[in-house]
Amino acid sequence: MDRASRNLRILFVAVPGAFMAAVMLVPAFGGLVLSFNRCGPSLGNYALLFADPMFWRALANNLVIPAGSLGLELALGLLLALYLTARPKPPAVVEIAAVLPFAIPEIVLLTLARYLFMPRGYVNAALVEAGFHPLGWLLPNHALALATVITVDAWHVTPVVMLILMGGLQSIAPEIYEAAALDGAGTFATFRHITLPLLFPSIVAAVVLRGVDALRIFSTTLVLTGAEGVPVLSTYAYQQWTDAQQPRVAMAASVILALAITVIGLAAASAMRRFGAAEAPR
Amino acid sequence: MSQRAVSMPHGGWTAFIRRMAALAIVLSAAIPIYLLVKQAVTPEIESFAWPPLWLPRRITGAHLESVFTVGELRLAISRSIATALVCGVSATVMGAMMGYAMARSRWGRRTGMSAITATRLLPMIAVALPLALAFIAMGLYDRPSAIGLALVHTALALPMTALVLFPAFLAIPLELEEAALLDGASPLRIFIAIDLPLVRGALAAAFILSFILSWDEFGFAVLLQVTNRTLPPLLYYYTVFGDVGAASALALLMMIPAICVVVALRPMLRGALMAGSLR
Repeated sequence: MDRASRNLRILFVAVPGAFMAAVMLVPAFGGLVLSFNRCGPSLGNYALLFADPMFWRALANNLVIPAGSLGLELALGLLLALYLTARPKPPAVVEIAAVLPFAIPEIVLLTLARYLFMPRGYVNAALVEAGFHPLGWLLPNHALALATVITVDAWHVTPVVMLILMGGLQSIAPEIYEAAALDGAGTFATFRHITLPLLFPSIVAAVVLRGVDALRIFSTTLVLTGAEGVPVLSTYAYQQWTDAQQPRVAMAASVILALAITVIGLAAASAMRRFGAAEAPR
Repeated sequence: MSQRAVSMPHGGWTAFIRRMAALAIVLSAAIPIYLLVKQAVTPEIESFAWPPLWLPRRITGAHLESVFTVGELRLAISRSIATALVCGVSATVMGAMMGYAMARSRWGRRTGMSAITATRLLPMIAVALPLALAFIAMGLYDRPSAIGLALVHTALALPMTALVLFPAFLAIPLELEEAALLDGASPLRIFIAIDLPLVRGALAAAFILSFILSWDEFGFAVLLQVTNRTLPPLLYYYTVFGDVGAASALALLMMIPAICVVVALRPMLRGALMAGSLR
């Protein structure tokens, strides 16, 4: 095509590209270099990191919480998507209520969750009034705190999974259901042999999209339990940065996290391609 | 339009279960928000009561008023609005450039998409910590104007705005541009006079989405604005250090843009939320 319009296109890629590189890639690369530096090139930051039991707890939590959260939000998201697309259509207020946890700012949701689950919070109040003992929902180093974090994390993003699955459900042709009904398939058989297989690409898309996000967990644990209550890699790095004054160890931890996300993300993306789902699900 | 996926039998147990499910979903959103409102309009002593009070005994406007009178809060509000406006405008402008270039070249369609997907792999913390060091060196760290944070939010929003604008530019027939080219208009003039007006709706959507992204963003804000806080880190600070009334009032204030979007844009809610989830 024309030279001038070609130059314009190059300019239009170069300006945002240079901006993104300056604000995201250059600092990330600088952090990578710094993580291998301790008064000269060294693996000392990583040695310190691997000797810290808190790091291993953070790493383990950083795998357990996303896995649990992903499972929970898939189950809830599927139920909600089936419910909201079924006939007769539920009132609009139900759909608004269902997307609300994702529509409000994350920090507002976490503030709410803190008031609900703190020792003298509303959940324990309801338990006591129903005649049960109050529970330590956010007790540091406790399995229950892990479960609370998973629940709150899933609460926030279930609407995203629900919307992806609703898109998938609405693209299934009604004729297929009519044919199944003619063949005498019951509700469960229809779901098992028609809905689930046809929905599978959307499920894969939701898992990949949300899985990569779930690994970046930071604010949920920071607000609910503090950096040390239920450590994950991001809050571990944050704590090394602010309280421990070890910026280079913090960067080594965030390099490990970036590495984990890249490896898992690429594996998930290739799995997604194998199942024949689109790259950017809508 | 929407095809009914699963048809359920009417009457009896199914209808009862469906009604209970609707009630449960609505209550799961309504009860927490009611409790937040209650905390925002009752004296702190009621919020700390044990067993807690489910209904307010005394109503006070002090917390809501403090949002507009206490200096720290007012500053945080104007700082958050300014950051979100800068992010909204600059991410929309650069996203339009990127989306247009992607739509007009085959190279851009493939490489641009992969580059946008790749930005999602970098965790916040791996960028934020070295960026904080760079900002300290450049004098952009923790500035009262939060200009450094606005730059970061722009970079976070840019892939999303490009993704929203790319299909809009792709939908414009090339014949329109070729006609203008024959009339001797420069490519930049064609972009501004012909393409941009045709994607007004997508530009508005990109602006709203990037405004909300900046308004909501917590991780970079808590690392880069440690004393000159924007709203999300200030809410975190109040929540952790126990100012229940002020925290609840702030939380309600922070929900206003989101609620406007949900109510006003309900027809396009699905698309907007999906695009928002790509950030």
